[in-house]
Amino acid sequence: MEEKQEVAVVVINMKNYLTLLVLFLTILAYSQNSSTYTKRVLETAEVDFLMSYYSQEGDHASVTGGIGNEKLTDITPTFIVAIPLNANDVLTVDAGISAYSSASSSNLNPFDSSGASNGEDDDDEDDDKAPNPNAVSGSPWVESSGASAQDVWGAINLSYSHSSEDRNNIVSANVGFATEYDYTSIGFGGGYTRLFNEKNSEVGIKAQVYLDTWSPKYPTELDSYQEANQNLNNGFFEDVDILNQEGEIIDKNGPNVWSPFNNTLIKDKARNSYSVSFSFSQILTKTTQFSLFFDFVQQSGWLANPMQRVYFSDRDNYYIGNAESIPVYTSKDNTDVFQLADDIERLPDTRFKIPVGVRLNQYINENIAIRTYYRYYTDDWGMKSHTASIELPIKFSLGKFTLYPNYRFYNQTASDYFAPFESHLSSSDYYTSDYDLSKFNSHQYGLGFKYTDIFAKVKVFKFGLKSFDLRYSYYDRSDGLQASIVSAGVKFVMD
Amino acid sequence: MIKKIIICLVLVATFSSCLTVKEYEKVNINDPDMKLSALKIKKFETNFQVYREGASGANGGKTGGGCGCN
Repeated sequence: MEEKQEVAVVVINMKNYLTLLVLFLTILAYSQNSSTYTKRVLETAEVDFLMSYYSQEGDHASVTGGIGNEKLTDITPTFIVAIPLNANDVLTVDAGISAYSSASSSNLNPFDSSGASNGEDDDDEDDDKAPNPNAVSGSPWVESSGASAQDVWGAINLSYSHSSEDRNNIVSANVGFATEYDYTSIGFGGGYTRLFNEKNSEVGIKAQVYLDTWSPKYPTELDSYQEANQNLNNGFFEDVDILNQEGEIIDKNGPNVWSPFNNTLIKDKARNSYSVSFSFSQILTKTTQFSLFFDFVQQSGWLANPMQRVYFSDRDNYYIGNAESIPVYTSKDNTDVFQLADDIERLPDTRFKIPVGVRLNQYINENIAIRTYYRYYTDDWGMKSHTASIELPIKFSLGKFTLYPNYRFYNQTASDYFAPFESHLSSSDYYTSDYDLSKFNSHQYGLGFKYTDIFAKVKVFKFGLKSFDLRYSYYDRSDGLQASIVSAGVKFVMD
Repeated sequence: MIKKIIICLVLVATFSSCLTVKEYEKVNINDPDMKLSALKIKKFETNFQVYREGASGANGGKTGGGCGCN
């Protein structure tokens, strides 16, 4: 009986030892695992489908020299795919198109709607002849029907990032291509980010280069004039009556005739941009953090837009269309007369920009945060600007739904080279009537909505729906331009 | 401008010596709405602003280039 008891005690002790050994090994294995385990930068592939619809109305079309219909609509389907290549590397593909229709751009050839293109070869080329020259008319207030009325901009951008094992160093590189009717762009860049102070502080530097090229499209009368060997009895102008300010038909062989101020159109098709961006982020408290951004941007090449007309106050005015509408040319009552351009917009071939931005985010409680942003901007074209915005994410249902009421204020001084319609002097070296470079301020009011499902329960093939975003903003510019934009996005994660 | 940049750098150095928030204390800072970058859904708004305004940059969006914009 005693032997049996001894054996039992030995067995129990062995069991204890074994238990202790297993426990020790488990702790050892766990401690080894936890010392080497590194969270993946991106756990699984993510796909974002984004889309926006933008529309604007305004009376300062730049293609027609600062007056005219600038109605524009734009749809932009886009997708962004982020793929984890391994625990440290992520490849992101961002591709999208932007399909727009623009009243301002349509008036690159304002005479299309009157049949100047003969109703067949409606391509904005200047080989067109009017079938009924006396019926040729156009107006900055009336949308034309030529090819330039709509366009599709397409872009693809690939970016790659590599994070160090300790996640304190991130190296990134990107390359992209974009194309549209009159413009192509090749872009590439790289960046480095360093985190320190237990990831409370972050500094970053990024360099970006865009090598862009114009395929210039010109106002039809300027292009036609060169094509007709500067002869108003040739090409498009043959048989078309040109009117003076009094509405009288001019003698095309006389001394007072319309001619462009410059017979040289675009000189340099290149338009390159080089930027260096610095950033610094800091966690200030458990609920507050901010970041600071500096960009230094140097642009060179043809920085003006060759589509945009300019009219000088010190040169005689000439028109095509209905003489009776000349007195009301700048009002919307004018539907059938068009003033021939003096020149295209001309701007310096370099521009240096310095924007400085700061973002400060404050977590109030589990339901509300405050996101604020301010930017000061200056450039060597004489423009200065302030931007301030605030957004209040408000969470409901334990963060499942979030509302984003937001407001943005923007103002800018005019560029040194801006003047309104018929206000420039031909003695100036540079001139534009593009109201995007005028003095104005703007207010933007918006509301966003987000649905988040952290478990991504709704499935589409192998992807789970992670979030859905919907956002509306209304933009009101002090020169009368008004715009609305609706954006929507869904995010899927791979199972 | 150089002076302003130097002042900013001094401020940056000052902030970086603030108290350190430990990883386990960052639950609020790590909230997705606390991200120090623009929200992805705002990319279209930033895009139209680059076209309709003379200023750009310092917001993670375009600084000029890549489009016939300002």
